[in-house]
Amino acid sequence: MEERLYDLVFICRPDTPEAEVDKLVAMIEQATSSHGGKIEKTEKWGTRKMAYRVRKQREGYYVYLALRSTQGELIKELERRLKVSDPVIKYMTVRLDEEMKRQQKLVHRRERRAARRPRKAAPSPSGSPEQAAAAS
Amino acid sequence: MADQSAPQLSGPPQGRPGGRPSGPGGPGGPHKRGKRSFVRKKKVCRFCVDRVDYIDYKKAEILQPFVQERGKILPRRMTGTCARHQRWLTVAIKRARNIALLPFAAEL
Repeated sequence: MEERLYDLVFICRPDTPEAEVDKLVAMIEQATSSHGGKIEKTEKWGTRKMAYRVRKQREGYYVYLALRSTQGELIKELERRLKVSDPVIKYMTVRLDEEMKRQQKLVHRRERRAARRPRKAAPSPSGSPEQAAAAS
Repeated sequence: MADQSAPQLSGPPQGRPGGRPSGPGGPGGPHKRGKRSFVRKKKVCRFCVDRVDYIDYKKAEILQPFVQERGKILPRRMTGTCARHQRWLTVAIKRARNIALLPFAAEL
């Protein structure tokens, strides 16, 4: 299976001590490496207001991770662990590689088009406004 | 021959009962323009202007202007977003809702 990119966001109770959060992150790291995945990024957004109440909480401690894995089993395992861990009140995993591929394609296309434009404009002087501006 | 064919040709446009008096009766353009005194500004897709290739669900402050106060997603006709970006935007907003960055329905 090809490598996939995932985003994992989870929210802890706001009264969770920092050490507890670090322990959770370490747990995720450990589980990821044992499944042959790797963590690209870890961000602790800290306590922020949630848009709606979750488990009677209005605020939550957000943690964001970006990870790569070839095994879908890893996500299943991570979600199971997050579900059973007490301080976590919400979590979400999103698969992003396909969107990133699409984005890459768009960037490539734009670059190609940008590269092509001056070449196209060269034979005909009235090709692009940039050329006209440069000529005058 | 010419006498016969001329009335036939001119007949149908005048005799069309249901149709609006298109030709001579209603020069609708100028009349309407007079009534509509304001000129609607052409809305441009903000994501196209900024050359956005991926709308990040994590940046709630970017998504915020595209939802109503109650949390509804604003239609394209209100925001001027292009079809492609609106499609990405809805996905991003729905993801943001899932992780409580945006409300499903804000209480007022």
